[in-house]
Amino acid sequence: MDIKRTTRGLVAATLTAAAVVAVPVYAHHSFSIFDASQTKTFTGVVTRVNPDANHLQIFFAPMNEARTNVERGADGKPIIWAVEMAGSAASAQQGISVSEFPAGAVFSVSLHPLRSGDPAGAREGALYKCPKKEPAAPGERVKWQPPAAGKNCDSVAGMTAIGAGFDPAQQAQQAQTARPGGSN
Amino acid sequence: MRQVLKNTAIFAAASLLAGAAAGQQIADTGFKSVGRGWPLAADLRDYQMPGPTIPVGFANGAVVRGSWDQFIGSAHHGAAPKGVEPLPVDLFTSKDFYKDRELWSDPRYFRCNSPAGIEEAWGANTTATIGDNPPASAAWGYCDRDYPREAIVSPYPFKTAQEHYAALLAETTKRGGAHERPTAEQLEEWTGRYAHPGNTTDAQADFTGRNKSNNPQSYWYRMRHNQVPTILSLLTPEYQTRLVQEAYHAGNTNAPQWPSQYCWPEGFMRRWHEFAVWEWHIVAAPSVVQIVTGVARNFITTIHVDREFRMDGSVPRLGADVPRWYGETIGFWDGDTLITWTSDIQGWKVHSAFEYSNKMQTIEIYTPNRDRSGKFLGLNHEAIFYDPEALVQPIRIIRNYVKTSGFEEGDPYVFIDCVQTIFPIEGRSTPVSPGTVIQYEVPDMYGRPWAHYWEKYFEQGMEKPKGEDIFSFD
Repeated sequence: MDIKRTTRGLVAATLTAAAVVAVPVYAHHSFSIFDASQTKTFTGVVTRVNPDANHLQIFFAPMNEARTNVERGADGKPIIWAVEMAGSAASAQQGISVSEFPAGAVFSVSLHPLRSGDPAGAREGALYKCPKKEPAAPGERVKWQPPAAGKNCDSVAGMTAIGAGFDPAQQAQQAQTARPGGSN
Repeated sequence: MRQVLKNTAIFAAASLLAGAAAGQQIADTGFKSVGRGWPLAADLRDYQMPGPTIPVGFANGAVVRGSWDQFIGSAHHGAAPKGVEPLPVDLFTSKDFYKDRELWSDPRYFRCNSPAGIEEAWGANTTATIGDNPPASAAWGYCDRDYPREAIVSPYPFKTAQEHYAALLAETTKRGGAHERPTAEQLEEWTGRYAHPGNTTDAQADFTGRNKSNNPQSYWYRMRHNQVPTILSLLTPEYQTRLVQEAYHAGNTNAPQWPSQYCWPEGFMRRWHEFAVWEWHIVAAPSVVQIVTGVARNFITTIHVDREFRMDGSVPRLGADVPRWYGETIGFWDGDTLITWTSDIQGWKVHSAFEYSNKMQTIEIYTPNRDRSGKFLGLNHEAIFYDPEALVQPIRIIRNYVKTSGFEEGDPYVFIDCVQTIFPIEGRSTPVSPGTVIQYEVPDMYGRPWAHYWEKYFEQGMEKPKGEDIFSFD
């Protein structure tokens, strides 16, 4: 018997089983609400992290193309999107938590949007968190360094990458055809 | 009838068991400890409530409203008490409580109401005292009644829960008892059903007249025995604002937002509040102790014995870096006394009381109360609260739970699933019948959702202090 091959086979089988089991363990709703054929990429400002057990959600205001402010609706209020991912415990193990993503943090994420067109989606691939700026004075509010116009946080020196699957080159190409509220 | 007899029997049994613990506000440690069992600066049972309130009774399963001849307070229907000069503006006449900040330290701003008295103005728990021209005709409490602040703050010298826990662990180790686990017999004593403090000896004192406080719980946290400025003095400026906001919308606009009415989480500190929990069901094993209780939601406190917190995150914790509604708890035994540390708590609020932050941590000591013969009567529960974001110094709550039975008898604990029937309609909690179509704004559960309703519907035109602008990159 080829022990190596058997072991590899077992590992592969275990991984496959884990992959199959993983989604039902965490999901508490059907993912059919999301359009997996579409991916949108955003750079946005965190407004809230909802650390629920089933799916951690980050609510955020997408930044404009110039990365100088956030997109706003006709009423002048920021447009808010939501991206959901694994449960809060699993997400925290990746470094995505209430304490690591405070309100005001700037980050980039890709997501599969809702089929309905409403502003929410399921995370796809990695997250990139832009770095903090040095405070101008002690005790001053922490501010974050947004990327350059048309860029995402993966392009900013000192950024934090969480997970994998976000291809900066591909995103740069996509950014050229970006639409307001995210790139398709 | 059978149920009534059964309840009466349980109550009588609790009373008998409690007899030897009468007046035992503090645990008897048998030695001078560095951080537990220190005396209270004042016994709440010696203090009368400021009010104002009109007590209610219960009969045939229904509330029986009281009448004005039962009024506890110093004046009502807009009149001022004799010898007290009202302020030109107060909580019940103000159009913008934010502007009145300099008046908040004066009990007259609250008409000498306790926080619970304000809540009861419109009849939240008792009979309304608001008068016939609300809210301006709100009643006055007694301005000379106030449970002392020094009996609320922690007497211990520790700045943090971590220091406190370490000192208790070192002390217990030095005395040779650290991690000394209880015997099987002692665990058996711990395991069982415990009566709510409202059904214990302190409540009995109400009926015998020994308890001047008229408070069945006999500890201060239900907010019936303090002037509002005394409670405000425990809080940091931001949390003072939040408490006055709570009081304003309870007493002035009558738009109370109680989390459990919407089936929102109860939150950690509701474990100490009236009616949020009833009986305790305790299962004690050497390595883990579980306390299960609840009324509108379940409170499950799991104490992990001899575990250590991770210290690498924003707060000490056992598991993932996720704030938990009821925190995570470690502890150690000193014989049959259990000393615990809870951290990783999700900040929230308790109605008529103050909000607390994600930095809240507690040290809790569960010490058996025994009679002179050594018979186990129940548990003294001493809790010290550390929250540097909300509290200017640590505070303490002490209460006694009386054991009523083991699990060989009585009803089982019923797991509670809260089904929402009350919804916020234009900022007011409103029961809604099936089939009714309403406009519903999804709350931001981690952003003080109660305050959102107040600010949107009842604070238009007020000059609320501006928060930080997270969308500014300059």
